[in-house]
Amino acid sequence: MAATATYPPPPPYYKLYKDYIQNPNSAPEPPPPIEGTYVLFGANYTTDDVLPSLEEQGVRQLYPTGPNIDFKNELRSLNRDLQLHILELADVLVERPSQYARRVEDISLIFKNLHHLLNSLRPHQGRATLIHLLESQIQRRKQAVEDIKRRREEAQKLLKEALGTLDGH
Amino acid sequence: MDIISQLQELVNTIAALAFNTFGTLQRDAPPVRLSPNYPEPPAANPTEDAANVAEQPKLMSAALVKAAKQFDALVAALPSSEGGEEAQLKRIAELQAENDAVGQELQRQLEAADAELKQVQELFNQAADNCLNLKKPE
Repeated sequence: MAATATYPPPPPYYKLYKDYIQNPNSAPEPPPPIEGTYVLFGANYTTDDVLPSLEEQGVRQLYPTGPNIDFKNELRSLNRDLQLHILELADVLVERPSQYARRVEDISLIFKNLHHLLNSLRPHQGRATLIHLLESQIQRRKQAVEDIKRRREEAQKLLKEALGTLDGH
Repeated sequence: MDIISQLQELVNTIAALAFNTFGTLQRDAPPVRLSPNYPEPPAANPTEDAANVAEQPKLMSAALVKAAKQFDALVAALPSSEGGEEAQLKRIAELQAENDAVGQELQRQLEAADAELKQVQELFNQAADNCLNLKKPE
């Protein structure tokens, strides 16, 4: 006797599609796409995929907010801060070893800020990729139009020549 | 790999280097003398050469600094974001309009070319029929 459990049966909706071949409208429509949040295997998922801001995660934001952030300079200054904090940690470990916790927290804060900044560059990258794709597609289409025009003109020329040789024959 | 992914990988590498550095130093450091009253700590085992213990921080910190320099180089290589989100969206709308226009032009050319192809095929059929009619079978 097999000790494994059998698979669950397929959902019973198939009975509704009995006359699908004769009349496609007798079967129910597929369910509409889900909006908002949904529960899947006991976990909550959301359909609105946006990067949660740092405050929502309870992490202090070290770089200034605003409509246009100068990503390069902020990344560079965060990098320098990180190096300074690593040096500070080394110093603390030599002189006052029991106070490492605060320094380690600071370093992890800087890392979280770094990653959040990099993640917020992604939508910009997506839009830039889209722009690039559209530009290359326009380029290809223009090229195709030129090619077709040229071929048509060549064909017309050949036909005229052929007509000329036939008439002169 | 695109540059943002490289930057993210590099950040993780810097973190790994940092905690490897501190972990190794803490593990391998020779014991320190607590007070002038206590005698010197027993001699370290021969596996820990003084050279080894002094070389490691140099190598590891050199790696850390190299990674940080790489990060700066990559950040400098980032394409500068001209404008912001609105400028990009405007450009996308422009490009879409232009794409549609060029697409319609392409469609027209295609249709004209198809018509001409049909004409040529028709002519060819007639010419072939005439040829066949001229050549009587024996």
